[in-house]
Amino acid sequence: MDSLGLYVLAAAVLFGVGVYGLIVAEHLMRKLFAINIMGNAIFILLVAASGPIQGSPDPVPQALVLTGIVIAVSATAFALALMVRLYQETGQATLSSRDDGDDG
Amino acid sequence: MTLFLLDGLIVVGLVTLAYQAVSSRSLFRGIIHFVVFGLTMALAWARVGAPDLAMAEAAIGAGLTGALMLVAYRRLVEGRSDSPADPAPAQSRLALPIAIGSGLLVGVIGLSALFSEVEPAQAGQAVLSELQQVDLGNPITAVLLLYRGLDTLLEVAVLLTAFLAARAVAGADGGEGSATTPAPETPMVGALLAVVIPLTVLVAIHLLRAGSYEPGGAFQGGAVLAGAGVLLILSGRIAATPVAGPLIRMGLLAGLVSFMLIGLVPLLKGSPLLALPGLWAVYFIETAMMLSIAITLILLFAGGGGLKRGRNG
Amino acid sequence: MTASALALIVFLPLLAACATVAFPGRWVGLIVRTGLLPLPLLMLVPTAAVLDQNVVHLALAGHASPLGIEWRLDSLSLLMLWLNVGITVLISLHAGFTFRPDSDRGRRFWPLWLILFASMNALVLSADLFNLYVTLELVTLAAIGLIAVESKPAALRAGMRYLLLALMASLLYLLGVGLIYGQAGTLDLYLIAEQIEPGWLPVTALTLMIVGLLIKSAVFPLHAWLPAAHGNAPGPVSAILSAMVVKVSIYMIWRLWFWGAAGWDLTTAANLMGLLGAAAIVYGSLAALVQDRLKMIVAYSTVAQLGYLMLLFPLASALAFQAASYHLLSHGLAKAAMFLAAANILNSVGTDRLQRLAGVDQRLPLDVFALALGGVSILGLPPSGGFVAKWLFLEAAWQQQAWGWLILVAGGGLLAAAYLFRVLGVICLHPRKRLDKRPRRENPDLASVAALILAVGAIAAGFFSAPVLDLVSAGLPPGMTP
Repeated sequence: MDSLGLYVLAAAVLFGVGVYGLIVAEHLMRKLFAINIMGNAIFILLVAASGPIQGSPDPVPQALVLTGIVIAVSATAFALALMVRLYQETGQATLSSRDDGDDG
Repeated sequence: MTLFLLDGLIVVGLVTLAYQAVSSRSLFRGIIHFVVFGLTMALAWARVGAPDLAMAEAAIGAGLTGALMLVAYRRLVEGRSDSPADPAPAQSRLALPIAIGSGLLVGVIGLSALFSEVEPAQAGQAVLSELQQVDLGNPITAVLLLYRGLDTLLEVAVLLTAFLAARAVAGADGGEGSATTPAPETPMVGALLAVVIPLTVLVAIHLLRAGSYEPGGAFQGGAVLAGAGVLLILSGRIAATPVAGPLIRMGLLAGLVSFMLIGLVPLLKGSPLLALPGLWAVYFIETAMMLSIAITLILLFAGGGGLKRGRNG
Repeated sequence: MTASALALIVFLPLLAACATVAFPGRWVGLIVRTGLLPLPLLMLVPTAAVLDQNVVHLALAGHASPLGIEWRLDSLSLLMLWLNVGITVLISLHAGFTFRPDSDRGRRFWPLWLILFASMNALVLSADLFNLYVTLELVTLAAIGLIAVESKPAALRAGMRYLLLALMASLLYLLGVGLIYGQAGTLDLYLIAEQIEPGWLPVTALTLMIVGLLIKSAVFPLHAWLPAAHGNAPGPVSAILSAMVVKVSIYMIWRLWFWGAAGWDLTTAANLMGLLGAAAIVYGSLAALVQDRLKMIVAYSTVAQLGYLMLLFPLASALAFQAASYHLLSHGLAKAAMFLAAANILNSVGTDRLQRLAGVDQRLPLDVFALALGGVSILGLPPSGGFVAKWLFLEAAWQQQAWGWLILVAGGGLLAAAYLFRVLGVICLHPRKRLDKRPRRENPDLASVAALILAVGAIAAGFFSAPVLDLVSAGLPPGMTP
């Protein structure tokens, strides 16, 4: 149980690092690192939040996290494709705060 | 005690690598830090008694996400002499307080969830007691295929959607991406591939089979198979094309379509939707899903709609 | 019978999406029709089932919760299904020419469109918190793929911002799901109500989930991503985004709040939600008033109109529930009509900047008419569907002597009148036509007809409200009595 507590603490710090990265990073790829790090922190909490059953870990949260990992890689893959195209079209891989009021 | 020390090392490593990933000077180093972070996460999963997640994280979370990030990075530097524009981090006085605040909040939530007095979860108990009636030793595979099949079906749909959406936004050069520029051919590469590729395929098949009794399954197997595909692309054995041939299209859809069709069949006999007609259906769907996952991931890596024999193929 | 129909309502479009990928040749148009057109007929089966037995439970794979996932069909989910089916089929008429199935653009568009459709159907049926997460991710990814499908820089940037926020929102929701599972030992939304007391962990979990969903629903002050995304997406996509996509996450909040947390005392939080709604109505309307592009005006109008859906929380009565459900319906129809009409105008004139649209009513009378009819419903003028919804809101507020909310609903209509009459004024009251003689591109008649049918539907909703309202009151949340 001790070690799980340690990993929960790590998840808290990781979440904080992710939030920090999301705010300060300008480059979109770094923002994606940050979101994936936050995601991992939450996956740890998901597993930690449910107690063991007769001494063995509860399989349900683990199955949920497995699904979550696949969804995370899917979303990241699409985000990377979007970023590359944005870069090809505008020469930037950032979200500048410019006006988005382009017309079609 | 030694184990506690190991945990301590893993935790310190996770935090340091995460910080490096979001803040290191060059983007390339950031990617490397992120991949190593993923591998360390895999260690962490192994330590908290989740070997299935450890494998998935190593293969998918670290391996393939890292590969996809490296390809994206190469597309950003393509045709430029300098490194891609990586603007300095934004100056924000609020960033640190917000980050610390949200970290503290998550910590308090996590610790109180960990130490709250709750009874073992009903759902988990139900899984373990039902499991004795089927010949599946790995409860996670049972949850994914038998009890929460719709989640898994839709998850495969999510992966397909990500691929379709990525294709939809791909530029006109989509398919002739830089991931396909092979390195100069040496005899060693050929010899190495001749050993590594069959081995990877074997590992993938083992992971798939093992998934019924031990850690592993379609997702881990598919990711390993995709790794073999990535090697073949890097060595120029296969290359991306803008449009997929019929075989690749079949492979892309096999998992989702077979899951849906086999899931619909029980309705004809008055049984519930997705009530799989036997363990053969589980194995069939898992095999099809493994193929689809591998092909989708390879295509996402190649940045194309299809595959063809490459320059060195 | 019901099980098979519901299974097809989710899987038929999904299979069709796969088929369009498998056979990208000249069959795409036929496949899309096969995936969409049987749905209104199939819907009759669950409709009969709900009229007959109020609530239908389906244990998927034969495993009831807590072990398995359940689908649960009641009046509210039936209403959402009908809305999604009806609006998607009508918008598809329009999309059929913007994204011709046999073109390269079409091949990129239709699979994502069908997946978006199927995933929203799966979402409104699901009774499982984690399954809802997966369906919501599917909705989000498909929707953003569609926003960016033409790869215009503004749409790419808006899609990217939407994606980052949506991913963050999903994580908050997921954390809440994990905490609930830890406390309740089940993921079934309707079992949770029986399993847990409102301690601090369950309340935190609910808060995290709702904040995540509020981001996805673009409720003020978390709306910043919406106008750019809805305003820069291709016309049919803007229409479905405003009519359905932002609504499904509000639908989830209603489910969590009124079913999952039934019996909790949430008065303070409910008032806070109402205040967010009020701020959305005022801010969205004022922002719509100063936009210079037609599509951006319609997009900000969505920010404002979503505010009304938040008034259900403080009012929380059977009347308010009817009002909010009817608002969901009439706003969906009206907004889809307005976005399609705006898309036709944009396509014909080449721009949707307001000052260049003077006189467009002479060239595109049908589209301007559809825009105006949709506007009438948004304003809440009789005899439109919007009027019924607003009237019920007023009645609900009156009944509870909640004068603040009453003034808000009445005032919100005036604000909407301001930005809509500004648009119509610029378009129709022109001293001299300044529009070029020839259109840049011709719209096929069907494109205008689709917009017009939706707009007429929004008005007709005012005449045929009784059966829908009866249906809604047959499926009120626990604790609400008619």
